[in-house]
Amino acid sequence: MQDTKEVQTEFKPKILAFCCNWCAYAGADLAGVSRFQMPTDVRVIRVMCSGRVPPELIIRALANGLDGVMILGCHPGECHYSEGNYLTRRRAHVLKRLLSYIGIEPERFQLRWVSAAEGAKFSAVVKETTDKITALGPNRWVDKR
Amino acid sequence: MGFQVYLVEKTPSIGGRMSQLDKTFPTNDCSMCILAPKMIEAGRHPNIRLLTYSEVKEVAGPPGKFRVKIRKKARFVDEEKCTGCGVCVTKCPWKVDSEFDLGLSKRKAIYTPFAQAVPNIPVIDTEHCVYFLKGTCRACEKFCEAGAINYDQEDEIIEAEVDAIILASGFDLYDPSGLEEYGYGKIKNVITAMQYERMISASGPSGGQLQRPSDGKTPKRLAFIQCVGSRDTHHKLYCSSVCCMHATKEAILANEHYPDLKAFIFYTDMRAVGKRFQEYIARAEQEYKVTYIRSRPSKITENPDNGNPIVWYEETTARTRTSMEVDMVVLCQALIPSGSTKDISDMLHLSLNDYQFVDIPDRLFHPVDTEIPGILACGFCQAPQDIPDSVVQASAAAARAAEFLSRED
Amino acid sequence: MGAPRIGVFICHCGTNIGGIVDVPQVVEYAKSLPYVAYAAANLYTCSEEGISSIKHAIKEYDLNRVVVASCTPRTHQPLFRNACADAGLNPYLFEFVNIREHCSWIHMQNRREATEKAKELVKMGVAKARWLDAQEEFESDVYPAAMVIGGGVAGMSAALNLANQGFEVHLVEKEPELGGRLLKLNRIFTINKDPSELVESIVKAVEGHSKIRLHMPAVVKAASGYIGNFDISVDEGGKEVSFKAGVIIVATGAQVLKPELYRYGELANVLTQLDLEQRLKDGELGEFQNVVMINCVGARIPERPYCSRVCCMTAIKNAALMKEINPEAKVYVLYRDLMTYGVEFEEYYREVKEAGVRFIRYTPSNLPQVIGAERVESVRVYDELMGMELELPCDLLVLATPLIPNDDNEELSRMLKVPISDGGFFLEAHVKLRPVEFAMDGIYVGGSCRWPADIRESIAQGYAAASEAVIPLRQGLVKVEAITATVDPKICKGCGTCALVCPFDAIELKESEIRGLEGKIVSEVNTALCKGCGLCAAACPNGAVQQRGFTDIQLLSMVNALSGKR
Repeated sequence: MQDTKEVQTEFKPKILAFCCNWCAYAGADLAGVSRFQMPTDVRVIRVMCSGRVPPELIIRALANGLDGVMILGCHPGECHYSEGNYLTRRRAHVLKRLLSYIGIEPERFQLRWVSAAEGAKFSAVVKETTDKITALGPNRWVDKR
Repeated sequence: MGFQVYLVEKTPSIGGRMSQLDKTFPTNDCSMCILAPKMIEAGRHPNIRLLTYSEVKEVAGPPGKFRVKIRKKARFVDEEKCTGCGVCVTKCPWKVDSEFDLGLSKRKAIYTPFAQAVPNIPVIDTEHCVYFLKGTCRACEKFCEAGAINYDQEDEIIEAEVDAIILASGFDLYDPSGLEEYGYGKIKNVITAMQYERMISASGPSGGQLQRPSDGKTPKRLAFIQCVGSRDTHHKLYCSSVCCMHATKEAILANEHYPDLKAFIFYTDMRAVGKRFQEYIARAEQEYKVTYIRSRPSKITENPDNGNPIVWYEETTARTRTSMEVDMVVLCQALIPSGSTKDISDMLHLSLNDYQFVDIPDRLFHPVDTEIPGILACGFCQAPQDIPDSVVQASAAAARAAEFLSRED
Repeated sequence: MGAPRIGVFICHCGTNIGGIVDVPQVVEYAKSLPYVAYAAANLYTCSEEGISSIKHAIKEYDLNRVVVASCTPRTHQPLFRNACADAGLNPYLFEFVNIREHCSWIHMQNRREATEKAKELVKMGVAKARWLDAQEEFESDVYPAAMVIGGGVAGMSAALNLANQGFEVHLVEKEPELGGRLLKLNRIFTINKDPSELVESIVKAVEGHSKIRLHMPAVVKAASGYIGNFDISVDEGGKEVSFKAGVIIVATGAQVLKPELYRYGELANVLTQLDLEQRLKDGELGEFQNVVMINCVGARIPERPYCSRVCCMTAIKNAALMKEINPEAKVYVLYRDLMTYGVEFEEYYREVKEAGVRFIRYTPSNLPQVIGAERVESVRVYDELMGMELELPCDLLVLATPLIPNDDNEELSRMLKVPISDGGFFLEAHVKLRPVEFAMDGIYVGGSCRWPADIRESIAQGYAAASEAVIPLRQGLVKVEAITATVDPKICKGCGTCALVCPFDAIELKESEIRGLEGKIVSEVNTALCKGCGLCAAACPNGAVQQRGFTDIQLLSMVNALSGKR
């Protein structure tokens, strides 16, 4: 297999994706099993529920220079722990405003719902987010402080 | 509960009909998402001996001491060595119509029926494998790094002594070709509900895109015909129980995928008796542009210019006779007890009722007991029912089996 | 244990990973990571060979953490954890890195970047592994007895099933006799026999069973505890009786709605179907010539949108009976949709039509009207299918009303901490796959208290509930995967946010009994109830609450490994 031709000096973002065990992680697995090809910039961290991800961790991640952070969870109403993703949704809402307030582009944080059968959606979300973050450029917040 | 269980499944994977569905009513939960963890648990359970691609060949002995012979068909793949990596499937050059996708896609001659199969070990379909037909190819063997391909593997006969038997052989889909007036098999854009499920499924042959068979166009108007072969003196007299609900679900999904799409459900009685079913129907009407028309259409013809099906019907509550041109028609076909139900029942000397469902002598007070002590029957093989009712009956059968086994102690 | 000594195993998975990711490069890279004492590659880590190599390395290199980089934990985590355990290493000192589904398979055209990504994923996994702690799975004893609340057919079936398997059952029934709603019925559909006869054998079996302790008439007054350990107190005829149970089954049934429609309660010849059953049973029906039955009375309306499932068949059964009693009588059933699902019901419907019962379809926008002063004289109805208004002479009007939740459902739900919804019926854990369990472990439900059910369905649900309930009873203990929450009482401020956020009521605020912290209000996790979601840990404002296997420092270490910061 040949490698694709690489474009010089192109910005490659570093994006973290917290995936919940029951839906998003399984959806990511399905995307892999289905061999949906994606950009290489996303790194998955498994949690049991999207509600485990504390907002402070996301701020830390972005403050430490990561270009994007995603949380991927079950669709509302389908949370394995019944309510976890509702909590995630509420936190995300406040977090976006806080990020804006401290000068980090709120689009660097994405919350999306991916079920265990949505391999194609996972792939689409990865592509979309990678494109979005790439367009925003590198996260220069640390330098601006 | 601690009992040893032999789980015998005819196809290469457990999961059954639920694995073919996209979503389940009335919550619209993703079917595979809630099913897969259970499949994995069953596959891993220390007390369950999973025998897939296997069939019961013989049952002898008195109740409580059944001697069973199970034929474990050769997969031609060594289960100990195979790691489920899937390279063999990728490399196999031979394509066959997929049974799982009801002919809407192809699978290979070496295949697993679907991505989340348990066990995740492929099977060689000797009727289409060129090695078995002509002695050439052997690509799978060449590319398997684990050396798991074994063309000489033979069927295995497993003998077991069991105290109880639970029959859960499920349903088959009634072939609507017999209803010639609906044109199934002749009019391209008339499909069955199960084919529709595969189409709309996110992990199905068209990735959840509705592409009608004749030209791949996305339908803007979809018609669902209820009771195709059910409640019908020429076909099956009984009611298949789940079609009103699954048609509603399918119509909702269609509109979710395509907000401009309008669905029309042609029904006789709208049977929505379970928890939140009535609210589901109301939502379909109010939020998803679904129209319910009380009618049993008399025929479907085809518009030769564009392949559109035309539904001819009497709207019984308005008493008008009219026709409606749509882009695609989904026939909600009758669901019949599976063919294997008959085979196994014959083997077990169980009676079937007039419609080939397993006979339950005391349906009210012993709803899962067959006429033979120690043999239980649950799910669709004994009565039309949806997923929750099947799960209840399965647990009830387990409870009865446990009682039976405890008495033996 | 000393300093972490991490062993890293990178899998080729045949060519699935090795064909795209440069595995040897990743192995070399792993060796350079902090605390890594050993790194090697395997062709198939999940094979016998691969498993042996892990066990061997643990012993040979004195490893106290293991990281495997291969496929997905959703398939092989238990396998690798067991391998560690077999080699004497606590299975929770194991971390899984996915470089197949999440790397090689999705970057097949990009080997260089896939390799770089695999290295980073391994770096993150190693960073987390360094912070892993040994864990013991929590085990709780199960008291070998069950309580069944409700002595109807569902409750009795459950009780008999458990008792026949050798377990002690406390059956609590609030009426002075067993049998529930069945006792009030005159006939049962599809079997035209007297219900009391049919249920007699079950009642006898229950009353005579050595393992069933009958509390009747009795009402549950208090229930506390958790799966395996419920403390129950019932009021048995004024006397308080207490006992312990490992599991609880709720089968309290439902009641029939008495409507405020069609002049029920006002005119003498308007009855509900249940009233009709009683009159027939007592032989007090009197003469009739023109029977009109109206279905969906008080059901499938905005205030009560559900369909009560059993009423169509009840009406049809009684309609047929009316014809049997008086073949000259005119019997009409006014319906909206006829819910004769399945095989036998549909068959029966056909037979009853042939016997001369007339079915008229009406629509809710045009309800039937009752005409009469002292008594019902006729019923005016718009027949939707004929498109004409009919006036049916009527000397007996029977209304099919829905089953509604019992009045004490709310109290019971509070007592047991189980949810109700959909108009007051008990809410099961999952409407499709867990229809007879509550989300609360150890408590199960069956019959009409969950949703209207006929006899066959209620009994099946009683058995099903017993089937689930017997599992902890048989196992004798409850094991919980060690990913549950913990609270550090030294740090805990007692704010209670964690308890608020827990979907399973597994955290409680209590006075600490720890030396030095006596009297301090802190949170305490009931590990038996904790499901390991981690919502509490994320909600805790100062890090006192953590989730085993997903602690703040473990997650942060992965984030830092990726960002390259400390």
